[in-house]
Amino acid sequence: MREAAVVAQPNPLQRIPGVAIVLVLLIVLFSAIAPGFLSVANLSNVLVQSTILTMLALPMTLIIMTEGLDLSMGAVLTLTSLCVAIVSLATHSMLLGLGAGLLVGAAFGVANGWLVAILGIPPFVATLGTLGMAQGLSLIVSDGQSVVGIPHSVRDIYSSTLLGIPVPIVMALVTYAAFHGLLYHTRFGTYIFALGGNREALRYAGLSPNKLLIAVYAIGGAMAGIAGLLMTARMNSGHPTAGLGLEFDAIAAVAVGGTSFERGNGWLLGTLLGVIAVGVLRNGLNLISMPSSVQVASVGVLVIVALFLDGLRSRA
Amino acid sequence: MSDALPIEVTVPTPLLELRGISKEFPGVKALDDVSFAVYPGEVHMLLGENGAGKSSLMKVLCGAYRADAGEFYYKGEKVAIASTADAQKLGIAVIFQEFSLVPYLDIAQNIFLGREPKGRIPGTIDRRRILADAKRVLDTIGFDIDPSTTVDKLGVAQQQMVEIAKAISQNARILVMDEPTAALSDRETELLFALIARLKADGVSIVYISHRMAEVFALGDRITVLRDGRRIDGVKPADVTPDQLVRMMVGRNVDMTYPRNFADKPGELLLEVKGLTAATGISDINIEVRRGEIVGLCGLVGSGRSEVARAIFGADPVTSGEIVFDGKAISGEPDLAARRGIALIPESRKSEGLALLRSVSDNLVVSALRKLFPSGLFDQRGAQRTSDALVRQLRIATPSARQTVGLLSGGNQQKVVIGKWLAAGSKLFIFDEPTRGIDIGAKSEIFALIDRLVAEGAAALMISSEQVEICHVCDRAYVMREGRIAGHLTRNELTEENIVRLGMHHA
Amino acid sequence: MTDITKEAMMPSRSFLSQDAIQVFYRLLAALLICAVLAVLSDSFLSLGNILNVLRQASLTFFIASGLTLVVLTAGLDLSVGANVALSACIAGTVIHKTGSPALGILTGLACGGIVGLLNGIMVTALRIPSFIATYGMLWVLNGLTYWYMAGETLHGFPAGFRQIGSGYLFGLPIPVYLLLVFLGIGTLFAQRTIWGQEIYAIGANPVAARLSGIPVARRLLLVYAVSGTMAGLASIIFLSRLNSAEADIGESLTLPAIAAVLIGGTSLFGGVGTVFGTFIGALILTLVLNGMNLLSVSANWQPLVTGIIVILAVWLDMKTRPRAQ
Repeated sequence: MREAAVVAQPNPLQRIPGVAIVLVLLIVLFSAIAPGFLSVANLSNVLVQSTILTMLALPMTLIIMTEGLDLSMGAVLTLTSLCVAIVSLATHSMLLGLGAGLLVGAAFGVANGWLVAILGIPPFVATLGTLGMAQGLSLIVSDGQSVVGIPHSVRDIYSSTLLGIPVPIVMALVTYAAFHGLLYHTRFGTYIFALGGNREALRYAGLSPNKLLIAVYAIGGAMAGIAGLLMTARMNSGHPTAGLGLEFDAIAAVAVGGTSFERGNGWLLGTLLGVIAVGVLRNGLNLISMPSSVQVASVGVLVIVALFLDGLRSRA
Repeated sequence: MSDALPIEVTVPTPLLELRGISKEFPGVKALDDVSFAVYPGEVHMLLGENGAGKSSLMKVLCGAYRADAGEFYYKGEKVAIASTADAQKLGIAVIFQEFSLVPYLDIAQNIFLGREPKGRIPGTIDRRRILADAKRVLDTIGFDIDPSTTVDKLGVAQQQMVEIAKAISQNARILVMDEPTAALSDRETELLFALIARLKADGVSIVYISHRMAEVFALGDRITVLRDGRRIDGVKPADVTPDQLVRMMVGRNVDMTYPRNFADKPGELLLEVKGLTAATGISDINIEVRRGEIVGLCGLVGSGRSEVARAIFGADPVTSGEIVFDGKAISGEPDLAARRGIALIPESRKSEGLALLRSVSDNLVVSALRKLFPSGLFDQRGAQRTSDALVRQLRIATPSARQTVGLLSGGNQQKVVIGKWLAAGSKLFIFDEPTRGIDIGAKSEIFALIDRLVAEGAAALMISSEQVEICHVCDRAYVMREGRIAGHLTRNELTEENIVRLGMHHA
Repeated sequence: MTDITKEAMMPSRSFLSQDAIQVFYRLLAALLICAVLAVLSDSFLSLGNILNVLRQASLTFFIASGLTLVVLTAGLDLSVGANVALSACIAGTVIHKTGSPALGILTGLACGGIVGLLNGIMVTALRIPSFIATYGMLWVLNGLTYWYMAGETLHGFPAGFRQIGSGYLFGLPIPVYLLLVFLGIGTLFAQRTIWGQEIYAIGANPVAARLSGIPVARRLLLVYAVSGTMAGLASIIFLSRLNSAEADIGESLTLPAIAAVLIGGTSLFGGVGTVFGTFIGALILTLVLNGMNLLSVSANWQPLVTGIIVILAVWLDMKTRPRAQ
């Protein structure tokens, strides 16, 4: 007789309502009170603008699954977008600019991973330190000024379409597919679950948790590099402080999406929905003329509530 | 000491043999010249009280501990087991009570962690094959479940099956199981036994640690009894009775003095516990402790003794029942219990009883701060004077009270833990394994100390796995079994055999 | 799985008595830096510069002193900078509206304290890890402050009030006197009260502390409240020194405060460290940044250097504080 799982399964649908309900509620709310919210133009705008955050939130999901955190992502994004701007300006090549961004981002990612895995520094402190370093480098490299005059090839990334779909959205979808494949179909993805769920199990299996951890953070850094391209394309310039603080939205998206900080489990689709939820929240508040400060505060409240509920769930 | 085996018609070579294995930790000899052999296709029962050395032996077998002395022979040839990898190569797998499973991966992924079948694109996993391979292994052990179920949804019994499947898939020929039926229902136990029979038929050997006499006699082909880290004897179930086994587990030379002046008549009731139930697994606990007595709380590891202690002290939340201390009902956090005069000397003094990096003095005054410094102002010199006095009174061996407490020996550390409650003026002392990991000399001192305490009017509740101690030191004792009080023994009834009998599951 | 017979090397005397040695080394380091800077720059030893360094260090110290208590319990408060900003803006508004500096000061302190208390509640009652709770709080405060100020700046405060941050007494800036006062109070609290002892005990081993009868939750609430109140105090000093308040004054305050605590020898893992050490840490950090200024290094380098210093300090902490793991 086939066995059933003994534990009353937390209904997998118990997961979806969390972030989906939040999303639906937000959409309903803003449809009611925000003029122009429900228009096709506005909604597609929300989606396009959410692509940068998606690039950060997806790797952040992986990092949080390993019981870690990357506070430096926003600052690294700022730095990579500057690198993209500067290099593409100098070489007139979008691809070289992208390469520069990727390189710098990955370097910071490896540095983060090394600090956390090899030196054993708690992730939030290590990435707080690299945040400062990236922030500083951004100021130094740009001397506090914006970098303008970027080749059109870069700006076109943001504004052109592929088969009628805006390129950023295509990039985001491709990225999502890649992460999905990575997490659920590769050995590396399997090990990410173990990094957070039972690191000892990896050692018993003869694997090296340290190398895996460094790789996870490196992916985060590299994605910040790609996001840097998008951001420079969107602003058509490199700015010394744009992007700072975006890690917070990324963490919020992951937390709201249901990925827990403590259990080695992650839900990519949830993160995606969380990204859209954050985007909708900001967009809606924008439309009713709430300053970005209130938006930030609201996202903050959202995170605290999400964490509290997560804590309740894990103790239930 | 060689393993004197009964002469058989054919003398097969043991699959695995240990000779003269010793393992020492600071202050305690976990294994003392133990020799042990495992034959293919046998179920070898390992019996012994708490602290007899069973878990140390297990850890040595699987390479988690490295033996200090002794040799290993695999199929007659000398080998080294210095790491878990060595043990795995020899086909030894241990099913620990804390499983090595990753909660949010499915059964197949857990079984093949690190050895996943490759998919076509490099780096990917062949999902179909891993599920099929997992199904095959699960079928081998008769566990019919969808391998794509995530492990967190499984009950303990099922997780155990997955652990076993994992071991089998690694071609384990020797499985070590530590009380596998502890968390299983009767039906699940039957399934496990069926599995064990199947494994035996395949020639897999099983080293099986158990406290349940029924299992020992039902499953065991041979029985080895450990006591105090030594191998006492190896027998066959047919040649021995349960009582004889108990005596082997328990009998020892008493070479200790237990200074104890038994109270003629006990004093007033200090602690009354009624119907205490907690989510930590204890139910309907009724206990009384009077001034001037030392009341024992015995039972096997996992029977709930520490949980009772913690519940009384307020360290764990109580779901129902009542605790009455010194005439007043009490419920709340440990700080309330401490203020009222209850003291807890926890089981793991290093992680729960002391701040290892702080000084002896700091640790001695930490529970008495409000009493010693009612104004709120802490005076280092005053603290020093108090701790110096305590160091002298308790004869704590330390160069000075400023010494880091982590450097003291186990016995002296324990004295510090007791000392901190002396400073606080506690009336009820709850001891959880007070002499664990402490050498003989210090043990006597600790008991003398406890004796003095209760003679002066305090009361003591003592949890101990050393039945000898309980019998020599306690006025009376409660015996726990599986979260409940199984019985009460008066002074006259207090013998080791009675304790073990009440504490073991005689189903 | 490691053999449990391997135990970390233990120091031969009580660690906390080694605190004095640690502070001494750091004091030496500070003096060394002074010596180097005196050689490299003519203007280092000028009275104006020294007073400037002292005043700057005191600002960092006010925030870092409360933070020290939190870190002693193995926690962290990332919201201090944002707390300073919000408290300054609210206190400034109160002074403007009521004309009473005293009321403004009280409001600033109260605001800081309430934020601290909220942090404490998240950590104790809601059981949210301190770094996440205070990180979320950071953004909430940021948002509130920016919204409240709506891009405006408050300026023009009564002269008497301004004396607090900009005034001098016998040639020394008033903040320096305040620094000495709070250094004294902080050291007294940590080393000479029973609450201080309990805080060290909690940091050294929170489980044992609870089982020794220490009301851990209440003490944690206390340290977070103190950290918040000190941020409130710092906000008053800022307000009176800058004679203005805007939403972004808190941005660059958190990292230096954490750096000061870590450089000063307080361990992230709790139980070890002193308020005096934090003072030396604030001094060292300020000297390094001051040196960079004097040597005409662009201010853009400062966050980078601070970030590197934080990482170095944590690494040093982990190397020199053995833990039996």
